[in-house]
Amino acid sequence: MELLARILHISPQTFWMIAKVIIVFAGPLTLAAILTWVERRGSAMIQDRIGPNRALLFGRWRLLGLPQLAADGIKFFMKEDLVAEEANNTLFWLAPLMAFVPAMMGFAVIPFGRDFTEAGRTYSLSLLDPGNGMGMLYPMAIGAVAVYGILTASWSSNNKWSILGGMRASAQMVSYEIGMSLAVIAIFMTTGGYDPHQIVAAQAKTWNVFPHIFGFLVFFTCMFAETNRLPFDFAEGESEIVAGFHTEYGSMKFALLQLSEYVHMVTAAALIVTLYFGGWQIPGMAHPPVLLSIGAFVVKWVFFCWVFIWIRWTIPRFRFDQLMFLGWKVMLPLSMGNLLVHAYFMHRWG
Amino acid sequence: MAVIVKKVELNWVDRTYVIPVAMGMFITMKHFLKQLFTRSRKRFTVQYPDWKREPAPGYRGLHELKRFEDGAIKCVACFMCAEACPARCITIEADEFGDLNRTQGFQEKRPAVFKIDMLRCIYCGMCEEACPKDAIWLRSDYEQASYDRLSMQFGKWDLMNTYAERDGKARITQDPTPTVPRPPLQS
Amino acid sequence: MFLIFALITLLGALSVAFQKNLVVAGLCMVITFFGVAGLYLLLANPVAAALQIIVYSGAIVVLLLFVIMLLSAHEEEDAQSVHSVQRWGSVAAALALAAGVVKVVLSSGFLRGAASGPAPANMNLERVGTALFAEHLVAFEAVGLLLLAAMIGAVTLVKKDL
Repeated sequence: MELLARILHISPQTFWMIAKVIIVFAGPLTLAAILTWVERRGSAMIQDRIGPNRALLFGRWRLLGLPQLAADGIKFFMKEDLVAEEANNTLFWLAPLMAFVPAMMGFAVIPFGRDFTEAGRTYSLSLLDPGNGMGMLYPMAIGAVAVYGILTASWSSNNKWSILGGMRASAQMVSYEIGMSLAVIAIFMTTGGYDPHQIVAAQAKTWNVFPHIFGFLVFFTCMFAETNRLPFDFAEGESEIVAGFHTEYGSMKFALLQLSEYVHMVTAAALIVTLYFGGWQIPGMAHPPVLLSIGAFVVKWVFFCWVFIWIRWTIPRFRFDQLMFLGWKVMLPLSMGNLLVHAYFMHRWG
Repeated sequence: MAVIVKKVELNWVDRTYVIPVAMGMFITMKHFLKQLFTRSRKRFTVQYPDWKREPAPGYRGLHELKRFEDGAIKCVACFMCAEACPARCITIEADEFGDLNRTQGFQEKRPAVFKIDMLRCIYCGMCEEACPKDAIWLRSDYEQASYDRLSMQFGKWDLMNTYAERDGKARITQDPTPTVPRPPLQS
Repeated sequence: MFLIFALITLLGALSVAFQKNLVVAGLCMVITFFGVAGLYLLLANPVAAALQIIVYSGAIVVLLLFVIMLLSAHEEEDAQSVHSVQRWGSVAAALALAAGVVKVVLSSGFLRGAASGPAPANMNLERVGTALFAEHLVAFEAVGLLLLAAMIGAVTLVKKDL
């Protein structure tokens, strides 16, 4: 670390900050890009198909269809950039950014490995150092803002399908946020802190899933609602409202909207791992080496990304009234009950 | 027609969604793993341009005009197929040939032109049904496409040679002079 | 830093006031709230900033926009003849409020204390909790009761047959 910093003529802190920024931006983006491939090939495998495997790298290497990503990217860049005539131009251009930026920001607090000390300095493996006072509130705040991308996209394209999609998305996100927050609050309570580093450290013995199984179910479901993934993809609902909020979008703007969905998914998976599956902790190993801890985090993280895809190809879309019913009459009481039960146990024995 | 919708009453286990969803995920995972560990030759998908599907025996593909052993065309230009064709894609011009006649066991006619417009043909097999001499067969080839309309007009020699390589016969471009009496058709 | 956030807040608020398009105005309101959240951060109160974003930009403005879209105010309507009394009255009310706020801030003892005393520690959730449930319990409960009453009132107003 020191050596690398000295080579680049910057202080170790600056170097580490830059390195972290690069990791935190490149990691989720790469994973999101790969997930688009996994989504297609995985869904194909689930449905006994083969999936896209024809794109060749330099006309020669097939690489299990991975060059499809590059082909798609090139295609998106080359496509004509259409803006609907009646659309609100400024907002139409801003909307993909408004969707993409919060999606990228959410990952900043997630600790993706064990802190390590080198030459008397402690380096923590998350973009925002522990003790910043925001803690887990930060990804929740960012998640709350994420709906604006969809809302703006839907409204600015001046299309009835889009507006329907946007309205559904906003109603859904607002109603699932409450249940989610209550589930997370139960974790804050048992941990005695709301910093992700603290939460991970508190899971050294048992992961939070076991005591918080109902909280986990609620949070997990709400994550699907927040990321607009399939059992709750009312923003898109391609069989009902064409393509929902991005009906009018094409080329790179569409790609950004789509990518932001995947980045959301990646962030949501990281949140689930951090909150309920012990972050970088390895069961039965008190102080894993740093690289191993990063590996453990990545394994869990990728697994939960896969679960998102897996569930998408398992469950059909809910009906909108079912969604609202589930959100307000099942998820909310369930997480509230979870909170109360934990509060009671803490009061009694804690 | 009235459709009777059966209302499904879910029991409490199903209404939690958790267990049914887990069961569903188990099923999809089973499919995923099965497909993942099947060799690609054994999968359901035929990766078409690389591999070709062998059509079933009764498949009605590209036509072949059958010939005798010496290479002479079996068709006697009776126009039955052209009449039977619902798409009206067969054009025949008859041609009389030789002094040999029916009493000597020879056909008197043969098509000078036998043309099928493959763009019109609907591969219904009516010509095959109608043919009294069993001279036209619809066989297994299903890849008829080309870049221009003209090359989709299959002439007599095209049709006689469509399956020549596959059957190990020589390509012919000329009617041989008939020398041997034809055996009567078995039917 | 303060200037940037203050500018964001002010410009956002101004464009809310002057924007003719309701939805754009709503989005500008979000910008304003972000500016306010930034100001909270500068005041060493990240919890308030996060809550500001979660509650105001995340929930309230979403609902606001939701209602605006539901009422389908898609084409901008011309405001029906604004009464000049209304206009001047609103300006006067705003000025009076602003004067009051400035007066209160300037006369508060905190301002004099902050200039000399040590910088306050970072606010965190624990301290917010203690402040709410130990120091201001009665006020908190009263607010809760008020909100509950408001909610029930809203439901009874809207629902025809209970």
